Amino acid sequence: MLIILVLHFVVALVAPVGFRWLGRNAFYVLALVPAGSFLWLLTQHDGAYSPGAIERNVQWIPQLGLSLDFRLDPLSWVMCLLVLGVGALVLAYCARYFKKRDAGLGAFGAELLAFAGVMFGLVTANNLLLMYIFWELTSVLSYLLIGYSRHRLAARRAALQALVVTTLGGLAMLVGLILLGVSAGSYRLTDVLAKGPELLGNGGGLMINTAIVLVLMGAVSKSALFPFHFWLPGAMAAPTPVSAYLHAAAMVKAGVYLVARLAPGYSASSYWQWCVLVLGLGTMLLGGWRALREHDLKLILAYGTVSQLGFLTVMVGLGTQAAALAGLALLLAHGLFKATLFLVVGIIDHQTGTRDIRLLSGVFSSAPVLGVVALVAAASMAGIPPLAGFVAKESALDALLGNAGNSAVGVMALTAVVLGSVLTFAYSARFIWGGFAPKSGISTTNFKPVPLTFLAAPLVLSVGSVVYGCWPGAVDGWLAPYAAQFGPQEESSHVALWHGLTPALGLSGAIIVAGIVLFVSRTAVGTAMDRLPQGPNADSVYRRVVAVLDDVAIAVTGRTQRGSLFFYLAVILSTSIVLAWLAILWGGQPLAKVYVIDPGSPVQLLAGAVTVAGGLAAARANKRFLAVLMVSVSGYGIALIFALQGAPDLALTQMLVETVVLIAFVLAMRTLPARLRERTAGTRRAIRIVIGVAFGITMVVVALTAMAGRTAVPISTAFAQLAYQDGGGANIVNVTLVDIRAWDTFGEISVLAIAATGVASLIFVRGRGDRLQPASTAPTGSVGRTEQSPGHQHRDIATLELSRRFATADSDAWLVGGRTLAPERRSIIFEVATRLVFHSMIIFSVYLLLAGHNSPGGGFAGGLMAGLALAIRYLAGGRFELGEAAPVRAGVMLGGGLGLAALTALFPLLLGGDVFQSAILHFTLPVFGDIKFATATFFDIGVYLVVVGLVLDILRSLGAEVDSQQEAS
Amino acid sequence: MNPAALAPLAVVVPFLGAALTFLLIRNPHAQRVASITVLSATLALEVWLLAQVFTGGTYAVRLGGWMPPFGIVMVVDQFSALMLVVSSVVSLAVLVYATGQGAADGDAAGPISIFHPAYLLLVAGVSNAFLAGDLFNLYVGFEILLTASYVLMTMGGTEPRIRAGITYVVVSVVSSMLFLIAIAMIYGATGTINMADLAVKLGQLDPGLQNLLHVMLLVAFGIKAAVFPLSFWLPDSYPTAPAPVTAVFAGLLTKVGVYAMVRTETLLFPGDALGPALLIVGLLTMLVGILGALAQTDIKRMLSFTLVSHIGYMVFGLALSSVAGLAAAIFYVAHHITVQTSLFMVTGLIERRGGTSNIERLGSLAKLSPVLSVLFFIPAMNLAGIPPFSGFLGKVGLLQAGVAQGSALAYVVVAGAVLASLLTLLAVARVWNRAFWRKRVEVVEPEPVLLDHGRFSAEAGVTLLPKTMVGSTAALVAVGLALTVFAGPLFGLSQHSATDMLDRGAYIHAVLGDHG
Repeated sequence: MLIILVLHFVVALVAPVGFRWLGRNAFYVLALVPAGSFLWLLTQHDGAYSPGAIERNVQWIPQLGLSLDFRLDPLSWVMCLLVLGVGALVLAYCARYFKKRDAGLGAFGAELLAFAGVMFGLVTANNLLLMYIFWELTSVLSYLLIGYSRHRLAARRAALQALVVTTLGGLAMLVGLILLGVSAGSYRLTDVLAKGPELLGNGGGLMINTAIVLVLMGAVSKSALFPFHFWLPGAMAAPTPVSAYLHAAAMVKAGVYLVARLAPGYSASSYWQWCVLVLGLGTMLLGGWRALREHDLKLILAYGTVSQLGFLTVMVGLGTQAAALAGLALLLAHGLFKATLFLVVGIIDHQTGTRDIRLLSGVFSSAPVLGVVALVAAASMAGIPPLAGFVAKESALDALLGNAGNSAVGVMALTAVVLGSVLTFAYSARFIWGGFAPKSGISTTNFKPVPLTFLAAPLVLSVGSVVYGCWPGAVDGWLAPYAAQFGPQEESSHVALWHGLTPALGLSGAIIVAGIVLFVSRTAVGTAMDRLPQGPNADSVYRRVVAVLDDVAIAVTGRTQRGSLFFYLAVILSTSIVLAWLAILWGGQPLAKVYVIDPGSPVQLLAGAVTVAGGLAAARANKRFLAVLMVSVSGYGIALIFALQGAPDLALTQMLVETVVLIAFVLAMRTLPARLRERTAGTRRAIRIVIGVAFGITMVVVALTAMAGRTAVPISTAFAQLAYQDGGGANIVNVTLVDIRAWDTFGEISVLAIAATGVASLIFVRGRGDRLQPASTAPTGSVGRTEQSPGHQHRDIATLELSRRFATADSDAWLVGGRTLAPERRSIIFEVATRLVFHSMIIFSVYLLLAGHNSPGGGFAGGLMAGLALAIRYLAGGRFELGEAAPVRAGVMLGGGLGLAALTALFPLLLGGDVFQSAILHFTLPVFGDIKFATATFFDIGVYLVVVGLVLDILRSLGAEVDSQQEAS
Repeated sequence: MNPAALAPLAVVVPFLGAALTFLLIRNPHAQRVASITVLSATLALEVWLLAQVFTGGTYAVRLGGWMPPFGIVMVVDQFSALMLVVSSVVSLAVLVYATGQGAADGDAAGPISIFHPAYLLLVAGVSNAFLAGDLFNLYVGFEILLTASYVLMTMGGTEPRIRAGITYVVVSVVSSMLFLIAIAMIYGATGTINMADLAVKLGQLDPGLQNLLHVMLLVAFGIKAAVFPLSFWLPDSYPTAPAPVTAVFAGLLTKVGVYAMVRTETLLFPGDALGPALLIVGLLTMLVGILGALAQTDIKRMLSFTLVSHIGYMVFGLALSSVAGLAAAIFYVAHHITVQTSLFMVTGLIERRGGTSNIERLGSLAKLSPVLSVLFFIPAMNLAGIPPFSGFLGKVGLLQAGVAQGSALAYVVVAGAVLASLLTLLAVARVWNRAFWRKRVEVVEPEPVLLDHGRFSAEAGVTLLPKTMVGSTAALVAVGLALTVFAGPLFGLSQHSATDMLDRGAYIHAVLGDHG
């Protein structure tokens, strides 16, 4: 069984290649796959009808209850007969339906063949979820197949509509199946069916009844029953073979199949009965009625299909032995005649170019064989003996008559079916008349001769209708075992051509007579129909729903997705405020009483005040520079707090960071307008203030609550001992940074490196422009020259000239790059001072780096110090001086530093230790004496390099590059 | 041997690669080779790690040999190993894609030289976050990946990118600040930041205080994971970045947030104290997100909204606090990383072929490039949860878990999940209808490149669909399909992992030994 399935998919995958070689004749090759499977199926008859049926089980996802369980039992076998048989014929038909030069046949053929495989899987799956997989795949393939005529807007819309409607039902069904599976404790179809009576005991619970309604919703949407019927006529935009196969013989039968499959277990539910009866009968009448009003042959058939699907659903859903038998008999008969009729319409369309019955005339005389084929199929549809349709309808009427004796509902069902059958007869007649009859006032339609290869498929199918009708015994034998699940077979309820003079036969006769009357008086009926009020059109309801959905989508998105950073931040901060307060109030925690004012250190209060004042002033500042300065004030305030708390390391680092950041800001702000943009006023400003203040207060309360709730001794108390004994350093902060928590530092230096490159990448938009130019390449006095313009005041010019006269130094005595600066930019005092302090600063930075393990300092502080030294060189001597001062490219420093750090991390691993494990080396050097050297220092050197690289990158991008861009503009 | 001993290499190796590509900054070709080699090696290592824990087991490594809770630990369990492998597969595919783009367009127009170090550090940050057994180290992991993402997002420095970058950077910095505050508060209350130690000590706190710390962490992670109402920033910032960058951001970064939420809910704050609240949040995320997707005409923006929407699915699974729900959420994370990244990669290809990602101005793609249509259709259907793809399997797992929980609220969320799934289908099928099926001559004002024939555009002077880019996209789509085929073992892994995480014992024992 699995091989059949796989074969379909594999051949479908390679099908496009076949079409490249063989053109449209490749369809014949494709048709061999379902045809061969059909023959295989015939050999499996005995196995399928044996008590255990044929089962194949493969594990897939046991956690979900989803396994590849297949089972070929009588119901599946009959369905496969239809699916594979019609599939093979339709594929063969395609080889002549399409023109040689039609585009996209490869994909089309592949999809159609895959569809046959999927249908086969659907009707043989013995696992609810597996069946659902095939179920949805048919929807998707139907979408792709309908969309074959992709260039027409209507076809694209119809394809999407069919997809959305069937998936809507499908998803409801999925939930239903899961409810069913959870209730039954298994997703195996046979288990679920066996559990049915037990689950339905006492009327069933809410869960099981919901499950039933949801599952039926899937069936209803798939089988195009009211209120989801509208997608099927729309789907007629598909090529006719698709309509014949998907929308008549196979896919739309999936819903009917599902009802038939579940009926033995669940048809006793009253929810089931009401859904099936009301929707099925309603659909039967509605479809038949609409079919009488259409002028397109295909649409007549489409509405006819809708009507018949309703009929089928009622029969297989009733849950009696006779009805089940009749339902399946009808299903087979319908597959035969409806596929024939669609294929006939395809031929008419192909040969004449139209399907409009107002344009067609006298086709029968041009193509008598085609006409006979159509006539046989239509007669079968109308229920005329001795054809399949008659035989099946006869047993259906019989079953309904048996049922009608029981209840008023039964009478209602019988009446509706009889009425529906009258309509069916009428639209069958209308189809034949419209498609083939000569009509007065219309010239005979041109009709090209139909090649036999084209006609073969419908011919075979119509022969099938005749054989089935005349010798229904075989069919009866195929169907009886399924029907027997509902109770013992009664003598009368066999599928047979002649039951004797029964009430059912009488009804059949009455239907035919009434049908003839309805057809003959078609003009009068048509006028009467037009006069009736039109109900709401389901298709336009669908459109309106989608339109409303789009409106809602736009409204919701417009409300939330405002593109305003202020709004997003307001939402985020408010959320955190509200949630925090909810938790605080809910918990009713006490606040900590400590830390409000530390009596031991009143200066702390001052430092805190400075920090807060800096923050407030920054928020109120109206100039950029002022704002940045005020932020720095906050920063220095925090540094003071660190110092007061006995953390000189942190204080030092914080001071250096603030300084470097201030320089970076000042450099960056040169290109920005000095004033901040107009501050927001009014309610927005009020909102900002409220949120800001509330957030601050909230965090204070959270902090106090958290401190008050402390239950354990913090781990930091152990750090002093750890650092000194195991880390070999007296500076706890440094040992923590480069050893105990070296991994954090390791991560953070990569943040620095990437931040540096980020700044550079924004300034040097393409390429890093990594190399700084040496001073020798620049002409003297070229950098930063103030241009004299007419706008300058006389006094400015005088000042300029004065400064130029005094600031001209002829030699490079102090700084190499000094001479490149314009005289008015130079400051000899600054140059001299720089010359004096630069080397001291570099040496001090190295000291900080090496001493860090025991005294305040470390790689980070050292790197910042070196960076500051570079900054001073740049500020004093301009960008060419920076080029002279920087020993290597920034990228090399960043990369080298990161590399060194990473190698320090890896090296112990090679020696069999842990990543970042450090060792302490003791040795004696002349002059220095005893040295205790922790290998963690290597890591610190990496940190140092990265920090210097960072500062250098900022100076050369925000400084040097912005300089040269400004001069260029 | 303790397999976790090599786990730090998952961070150190890309880190070394970043150092190397810094040094090779003037040689794009060598950079490319170095990056791809480094990421392949990382992936190989992570696959080995996953193989070690595939049948179960949690291992911890003490970095620098320092005892927890003082030193930093890294923890490898099934969840983190799975996330590592999936994220590396995705990042490798995107890297090949990006270098392919560079090679096709000549290096001048390709990714600029800092792309490689930034990208490798991003990967290192993501790996670090997945491995972190220490709350502050998790923060460091976030910082690395965020800073790298700031650089990648603004690459090229065009005005829209800077504008989007500002939104992104400011929101991310705020979320980092909230995270840092939360860590400080947690340390304030418990005196520790080692996650296993916290698992023990948080439980000793007053339940009210636990809730307070819990929501603070969740808000911080919720911003990164893009959970409603903290998600609005995402569709405004991701789509403007270069295509490969958007692809990897969409796939990975939000999932790091989800990962952190999973650890928060299972390890730090077990039980379902906030379960109902999270269910509601998940529902709103799904629905508001997908409605946003319906309102878009640009494929990248539409995909960004579906990204938000499907985060809701993961929150749903997580909020159920059951093994089934958590297992389905884990599976869904792996699925979603792959599929969302592939879709953004395909969209990059669509942009190359059609000159735009606006569906109003695209057409005929099905005819112009059948390969492209297959590459779009499969992950699109996968995203929409069409069977038998992994998106469907994950969804079924979530629905089953929701039904099994059985509360009225869970049923409402089940209904919402199904609706979101349908609307996702509608959104992607609309793209298909317009961009792939419609004829290009019907397009008003098409980009000139859309009207080109053949593989090479004379007008733009570039190969339209370079083999490397198509190949890497196809590879990732194939990985998505493999998730379907091997869903059995993968679900087994997810379930085992979910059981372990909800139990917590293995994790705490691996880190603290018998003291915990």
